[in-house]
Formats: sequence, structure tokens, C-alpha cells
Amino acid sequence: MVSSLTKYYGEFKALDSVSFTVDKGWVYGYLGPNGAGKTTTIRTMLGLLKPDQGEVQIASVNPSKDPVNALQIVGYAPELPILQAFFTGEQLLDLMGKMFGLSMQERVPKIKKLLELVGLQDWGDKKIGKYSKGMIQRLSVALALIGDPMVLIMDEPTIGMDPEATAHFRNLFANLSKEGKTVFISSHLLDEVQRICTHVGMINKGRIVFSGPISQVLEAFTEKWIVEAELEKVTEEVVSALKSLDCVEDVKVDGNKLMIPLKEKKDSRGEISTEIFNHKGVLLSLNLHKATLEDAYLRAMKGGI
Amino acid sequence: MNALQRIAVILWYEWRRALAKKWVIVLIVLAILFEALPFLILSQNMAGILTDVRETMWVAGVLSSQSLFIQIMAIQIAGSSMSEEYEQGTADILLSKPITRVEYLVGKFLGGFLLLSLVEAVTTITGLVLSFVVFGAQRNIQFVPLIFVTVVYATLVFYSLTFMFSEVFRRSNLAMFAGFGVFLVSYFVGSYMFFLQGQFYKDISQLLPTWSAMSLPMSLVIDLNLLPSGWAAFAGGGLGFTAPGDVRLAATIIVVYTVIFVALTYLRFVRSDVTKKAA
Repeated sequence: MVSSLTKYYGEFKALDSVSFTVDKGWVYGYLGPNGAGKTTTIRTMLGLLKPDQGEVQIASVNPSKDPVNALQIVGYAPELPILQAFFTGEQLLDLMGKMFGLSMQERVPKIKKLLELVGLQDWGDKKIGKYSKGMIQRLSVALALIGDPMVLIMDEPTIGMDPEATAHFRNLFANLSKEGKTVFISSHLLDEVQRICTHVGMINKGRIVFSGPISQVLEAFTEKWIVEAELEKVTEEVVSALKSLDCVEDVKVDGNKLMIPLKEKKDSRGEISTEIFNHKGVLLSLNLHKATLEDAYLRAMKGGI
Repeated sequence: MNALQRIAVILWYEWRRALAKKWVIVLIVLAILFEALPFLILSQNMAGILTDVRETMWVAGVLSSQSLFIQIMAIQIAGSSMSEEYEQGTADILLSKPITRVEYLVGKFLGGFLLLSLVEAVTTITGLVLSFVVFGAQRNIQFVPLIFVTVVYATLVFYSLTFMFSEVFRRSNLAMFAGFGVFLVSYFVGSYMFFLQGQFYKDISQLLPTWSAMSLPMSLVIDLNLLPSGWAAFAGGGLGFTAPGDVRLAATIIVVYTVIFVALTYLRFVRSDVTKKAA
């Protein structure tokens, strides 16, 4: 739980009364433009930054006051992590395992399993200085998982990864959520967030614009669903007929294409195709464009509806 | 996992971090050379004047490395201890784990200090072995552990001062530069006051950080009659002049300086943000 968090960097107010709650088992996507305060929020949540006002509680414990108990259940993968280049991947995982109080018997099999999980099984004994950016990012996720955390905090976790790895980690985070872990992801990849997150928070200029279920943000911050119809030939008769439908708000003609905004967020392709057929139109394609998180995000950042 | 175990993890990490750096290895090799060369030079060219001290040359060897080399080493190790984690951006990884800032600070401080002690142990053993090899059987070697501990203890002043600079400035080079700066200024001002007459100058010079750091081992050596005072002052004075004095006073001043510097480091560290990689 983050409550009225305010943070200044000198005169600059980086966080302005930021509040939100993330419950157990949620996959929470934290969105915002560069410099909005995402990383500052995360670093304050971990006790790395001292808030000027407000407080953070992880499982009812404030990490600034009791980092040992609060962070024992937290795994953190920073944005563009910089890891100790003189260690091998195995050595750094071993060190972090020690910090979580794991015994040697627990650490050895766990390190092997995690390296396999992030696809670094052949690189565990190599110095981190030789890793690529994507490999460091993968290792960072493994480091976040070493303590078997209940809460995972990931700051742009798939930056620098190839599409295959991105898909792999997307599935990994979804699976972790199914295991009952809470996953907090800060990301710019809206498509990724829409696919795996149950809830989202949006921050702009240090202020929370929205926090809640992803369905709610789509509802609140998107305008219309649009049906795009491609016809062999667009006639005035077809356009008039479509405009008369209850579900249709408007019909815009673009060559042989019709852009049809709907009054409600409901799939009305059946009614539209029937009406086109009834008025002797030849339909080549018919697509429904639902609201995306990107639409909602852009709208939210502009000041909402 | 208790606090001591968490401190031990950071301490071990600090050793691994320091030993991964080539300059630390170079300094350890230099420590051995620094210890060996004076013995070889003295044995070749100045054998005649060594008659009185041949059997306690190990003391001269230990004091000579303590006077300058080990102080420089203390500044080097402490100067990078805290600051490098900020410079390289690795502080986040460590401090986002279940550890308190005090445990982290203690682990860092002790890790570097024990590494420094190891280097001093290497130079002491080297000096002891060389004195046997070059000058024959040595007397009073039962005092080796005491002298070793005293020398290590005396490094606390500049170790803790530079450790504080390392946290305050969060830049290794700046911390080391400041540490060396204080050392040199204090050293040469102290040497100048050594020649001035009067109790006032003597009192002032004893409050300078270099006096206690350099005078404690030589004063103890004189108190224990391990070397004639002239030899002790020559071996322990480095390039300048440090007057021997009261062992208890020097030991007390070291404690006072160390407590002040560590307290300031603590206050700065627990109250401030963990900054990301230095620009």
C-alpha cells in the first residue's frame, strides 16, 4: 500500500501525494511517460529513497523502518540493472541467496533452476562483465526471484530483451501471479501490460491519474469501439441504412472503406453486415477495433475524459 | 538470519569486491617490496651503523611500512568502499535486500578494515622473515602480535576519515583526494611544529590526525624498549618528523577521531537517499 507519498528532488516535486493499493495475487502495471515518477515510486517503495511525506507498507510493514522484514518477501529487478561485473552469474545469485538467509543446500539447486528459467544455464559460470544487456536483464529477474518472494517489483523488466525472451518473461510473470504472487510491473510496453496485468496505475507528472482494474481503465479512458468495413463499392443507400441503425453513431466514408463508430462498447458486426447485405452491398472485410490500453493511456495522459 | 550473519555477508562481499580490483593486488605486492627493499639496502650499505639494532630489525621494518605505506593503503581502501557502489550503480541491488543500513555500513567498514589488516599482516610477516634472513636471529618477537595490533589500530584515523569522505562525496577519487589532502597537510604541519619550541605547538601538533596515527606504534616501541628512540622516530616518522609521546593519549585521540568520523558517516548514510549511478 502506498499512501500519500510525496518526494522532492530539491525544488522539484517528483511525487505528489501518490496513493494506491496492490492486493495479493494482482499483476499491477504501473504506467507513465518518462520522468513521470515511476522509478521514484518504486525506489521509495523499497526504502532506497526517503519520502518527504506519506508512507509505504508491504504486507503491513514499512520498508524504511523495518527493511529486514519488509524486503524479505520482495524481489526487485531494477530498470537497466548494473550488476557486479566481477562476479559470475552463479556467484551473484549465491550472494543474494545468502542475503535472503538461504542455506547452501537450498541455494545450489535454486540457482541452477533459476538460471534455466531465465535461459542463462550456459552462462552461470561466466563473469557478468561478459554478459549482453539482455542477459543482464534476465539475470536481474533471476536475482529478484532468488528469495522466493511473495511480491515482485519489476522496473521495465523486458527492456533490452528480444521478442522471444519478452514473450517468455510475459508468460513467466503471468504464471507467478497464478501461484499467488503479487507482481508490480513498471513498463512502457502497453500491449504487454494489457495482456498480463489485472490492474493498472497511471502516473503523470508525479500524480496518480488512475489506479484500478484494467477493465475499468479501458471503460473510463477510451471513447468508442469502431467497426471498419471494406466494400466492393460504397453506395449512398448503404451509408444511409447503416446510419439508421441504433448501435451506430456515425458512418465515415474513406474510398471503399467505412469507419463506423459504435454507440456502445458492444460487438455489433452482425447487425452491420446484415444491413450491408440487405442493401446489396458486397462486403470484402469487416473488423472490430476495440479500445486498447494505448488509447486509454494516451487519453489519460492528456487529462482524461 | 540474524544481524551478524547479514553483516558477515556484506563483509565477505567487500573482500570479493576489493580483491577483484587489480590495484589492490598491486598494492599487496608493493607492500612486500616496500618491506623488502629497505632491508636489502640497509644490509648492503649500512651494516656498520646497525650494530645496536641488528637483533630487533623486525621492529624497524614494521614501523617503516606503517608510517606511510599502510596509511596510504587505508585511504585507498576506504575511499572506494561506499562510493564505488554509488558510482557503479550497484548500491540499489544490495540495499533492496533484507538488510538494514546499519548492517550494510558495519559490513562495509569491517570488510575494508579487515582487508587492510590482512595487508598489514603480510608486511609484518615479510618484515619478520626478512629480518631473520638478512640480520640473523631476532629478539623480542613475542611483541609481534602487540605491535601488529597497534599498527592496525593506528590506521583507524585515516581509514574512518576517508570512509566518511567516501559516503559524503560518493565519488572515489574525490574521497581519496580529500583523505590524502588531510593526511599531507596534517603531516607536514605536524613536522613543522616538531621544530617549533613551546608547549602550545606541541599540544596543537598532538591534536592533528597524523600525530596519533603515526606516533602510537613508535611510542609503544620506545616504551617497550624494542628500539632506541632515535631509531623508532626515524623508522616510524616517514618522510617528516613525528614526535613520540604518550601511548594512552595517542590511543585515546584515535578513538575520538574514529568515533566522530564513523558517527558522521552513519548520520549521512541513514538519513539520505540511495542515489542511482553517478552521472
